[in-house]
Amino acid sequence: MRSRLPVLRNRRRYMIFELQAEGEISPKDLMSEILSSQYSLFGDEGAAKNRLKMIAFHGSFGLIRFSHIHVPQTRATLAAVHSIHGIRVAIHSKGVSGTIKSATEKYLPRLSKICAESDGRRIELKDVSGCIIRTHGVKVDLCPDDRNKSTGSDTQYLGLTSFDLSGGHEDADGTADGL
Amino acid sequence: MSFYECVNAFPEGGASASRMALTAKALGYQGIIICNCEPGRIFMPQAAGMIKGIEVAVGVEVTAPGSKALKSRISALRARYPFLVVRAATEETIRVASEDPNVDLLMHPCEVRRPLGIATARAAKLNQVSIGFDLSPLVHLRGRARSRWLEALRRNLQLVRKFELHPVITASARTHLDLRSPRDLAAMAEVAGFEPDEAEEALRWPGMLLALNRRNWVGPGVELL
Repeated sequence: MRSRLPVLRNRRRYMIFELQAEGEISPKDLMSEILSSQYSLFGDEGAAKNRLKMIAFHGSFGLIRFSHIHVPQTRATLAAVHSIHGIRVAIHSKGVSGTIKSATEKYLPRLSKICAESDGRRIELKDVSGCIIRTHGVKVDLCPDDRNKSTGSDTQYLGLTSFDLSGGHEDADGTADGL
Repeated sequence: MSFYECVNAFPEGGASASRMALTAKALGYQGIIICNCEPGRIFMPQAAGMIKGIEVAVGVEVTAPGSKALKSRISALRARYPFLVVRAATEETIRVASEDPNVDLLMHPCEVRRPLGIATARAAKLNQVSIGFDLSPLVHLRGRARSRWLEALRRNLQLVRKFELHPVITASARTHLDLRSPRDLAAMAEVAGFEPDEAEEALRWPGMLLALNRRNWVGPGVELL
């Protein structure tokens, strides 16, 4: 609702968040899950006071707007998102700022090193074997052959790093050809 | 700002110790404590040590079928690991863990039918056992189940404040996707009923416990430098 007097205008804050997901998530699904999390945690009344709105979402980073007195509530709302349509996700808030410009300047990474590449290489080790789904820097997501080996987590893929697979070299992932 | 988090790593979780350490470092933790039931079977613990800028400590979560076995297992593991966690499942486990000074952290369940008892709180205070609050139900549960969990947590927290126990909050992460940043955890704890200062202190406490346990005490009050 637009206020007529500038002094009565609601103050806003902008938060940059990072989405880590096991699959592709559309902005629409993400926002509906965030809103559902907010309704579930704070009810209709709390949601009406906070007025969450997604300004932008691209790749794995997004920007949302909310009321200035509800910073912890918004953090909790985002942290309480667990999965979207059965795909495991995690939303990490990067920082809060008063304007869109300062939020993007402060908290968005300059270089876009965020591209995830998928390849069909295999890992064969004593304790773990499977196909590499994607790599991102030293992070490696592996689809294990034995799905029941890791207990307690409901993720599709096993999160590893290149240190686990190669015994230390930062640029290798343990496969025959290396990264 | 030394925040620590207790995690479970592969094969008792869905991510390796090094992946957990890498994610925790990016989130702003100073260290993680891997609390697997079988620490000897952790996949590539030496790889986690290669992640710079974060301390990776190996603790243990003690599990045993009975109270007598639990007691002997606690005393056997105390000398080998700097951090001992007991995840309370039964009344018997809660009683034994709260009465044993060797236990660092008792993860008490937040259930309406099994609240934290006065006797347990008093014993925990006497034996310097911290009470752990697992915040993962706030993420994983919805609706009625979550409201009942919140109600039970508030009741337990009242008793923790009354007996001046040290609360510890953790997300009990089993994968890197379960990890939340300290600020997010503090915000979740605030929603659950913690005071902001209390939540921050609760996030710091595992690190302090770890530092205390690593000191080389010759006798009560005498430290070997």
